[in-house]
Amino acid sequence: MSEVRFPVEMVSGVPVVVTPEEIDITNAAGLRAALLEAAGRGPGRLVVDMSRTVFCDTAGIHALVEAHKRAGAGGGEVRLVITGPAVLRIFAITGLDSVIPYYASLEDALTATSRSADGT
Amino acid sequence: MGAIEVTAVDPVLVEARLRGIQSITDATLSRLDDRELLTELLERTREVLQADTAAVLLLDFSSGQLIATAAAGLEEEVRQGVRIPVGRGFAGRIAAEHRPVVLDRVDHTTVLNPILWAKGIHSMMGVPMVAGGRVIGVLHVGSLTPRRFSGDDVELLQLAAHRAAAAVQSMTAQADRAVVAALQRSLVPSALPVVAGAEMAARYIPGSGAVGGDWYDVFTLPSGQVCVTVGDVAGSGLAAAVIMGRMRSALRAYALETADPAEVLGRLDRKMQHFEPDALATVLYAVIEPELDQMHVAVAGHFPPVIAYPGQQPAEVADVRIGVLIGIAPDTRRPVTTVPIPPGALLCFYTDGLVERPGEVIDEGLGRLCRAVTAQPAEAACAAVTGALVGSEPARDDIALLMFRRHARGERDAGV
Repeated sequence: MSEVRFPVEMVSGVPVVVTPEEIDITNAAGLRAALLEAAGRGPGRLVVDMSRTVFCDTAGIHALVEAHKRAGAGGGEVRLVITGPAVLRIFAITGLDSVIPYYASLEDALTATSRSADGT
Repeated sequence: MGAIEVTAVDPVLVEARLRGIQSITDATLSRLDDRELLTELLERTREVLQADTAAVLLLDFSSGQLIATAAAGLEEEVRQGVRIPVGRGFAGRIAAEHRPVVLDRVDHTTVLNPILWAKGIHSMMGVPMVAGGRVIGVLHVGSLTPRRFSGDDVELLQLAAHRAAAAVQSMTAQADRAVVAALQRSLVPSALPVVAGAEMAARYIPGSGAVGGDWYDVFTLPSGQVCVTVGDVAGSGLAAAVIMGRMRSALRAYALETADPAEVLGRLDRKMQHFEPDALATVLYAVIEPELDQMHVAVAGHFPPVIAYPGQQPAEVADVRIGVLIGIAPDTRRPVTTVPIPPGALLCFYTDGLVERPGEVIDEGLGRLCRAVTAQPAEAACAAVTGALVGSEPARDDIALLMFRRHARGERDAGV
């Protein structure tokens, strides 16, 4: 089975997963596996850099949420970098914008001080 | 894994090996159904490797145990339902380490399952069965006499394991599809409730891939309120369908306890996070007043309903506030939005499969839906929407669709 790989890069000591241009039902499973693996490595921050991503469907959203849950269970945190309007839109329409912290650039995601992720 | 030895080639041995490979990869095996194939494959594996026993243990993902499923010369293992935890014993080690294990001598320190040493098995080898990149089980053979299994033996067994894994995958997929289809049929309401002053129509359209966890539900409360649910459990196949069934009945139970839709979703979320901590779902729950003039909606990450007003085109995406998905954050209270329903208006509830298209901004899909939904009789509205948005191409994702239309003033209930 040929699956698209989602490598984890270390940027300033923080694991960063870069997502492809499009995330949909055809590659969401691979992304989910990569994110869960990265999020399950232990407490700390995981950044999902979606700045290249112009399209993401609900299958992709589910993968992000699962990573967020996995990281949270281990005392960690998932941060997203979102720039595409279509991605922001699906993020808002599914109510995720109040759940997972997101930033306009990788630098912001890496440096911003933690804020409450669950909107409380 | 053992390197292939290319020195000292004995033509008789090579011939025997080739015949062995042929026997295991034989195309005529494919004509058998999957369960027969597994049994036949074990027989042939035993024969080719001149072993006394052969057995398949399949991994039960929920318990993390290997369960004896098929055997040749070791039928008691299956009959007694032997279970081996992953990571422990001979088979458990193979599954945990994803690699073949050869045991020249079987005893209680190397093998967990007492049946194997009671039987007098002296030497064993086992290999992981891998499908879709993950271990789904273990195939092992045993010898009643002392024996050293070679690297070639391991490779041959790996070949058989590959074949067995494919058969098991296909068997599981078939069984899952049949069960899921039956489950979907039993869970999607066959008849919608009859509500004076309104009419409803609904569709469940399975996706071209695995059946998923989409559902809709309509029921009335003793107060005369009409409740509408539409939801989507993340994932697909049997696991998602089972969770969907549990959510559907839990939501009905909580609906009887409280009239507040946010409270119903809050209780549902608490229940899910406790009993199904890995589940993730979107749900929309609407309570329509007995007068049918307004609905109170709470949304857990689901797409908002579309509302069509008589004599007005196109329809609109209802302005409802979206709360957090089910299964993420503990003790979340979701906002409730009250939406007026004028006489003759039609409400359209749906799941993502109806509006999402690859590479397309979600607003395009929502726009297409708004143009297709008109304030016409519910059944005709359903047909119009599926005609415009589903068409003849098979949908990839499954779709649940429910139309609720409040009668126009002076309109009579149609005879049912």
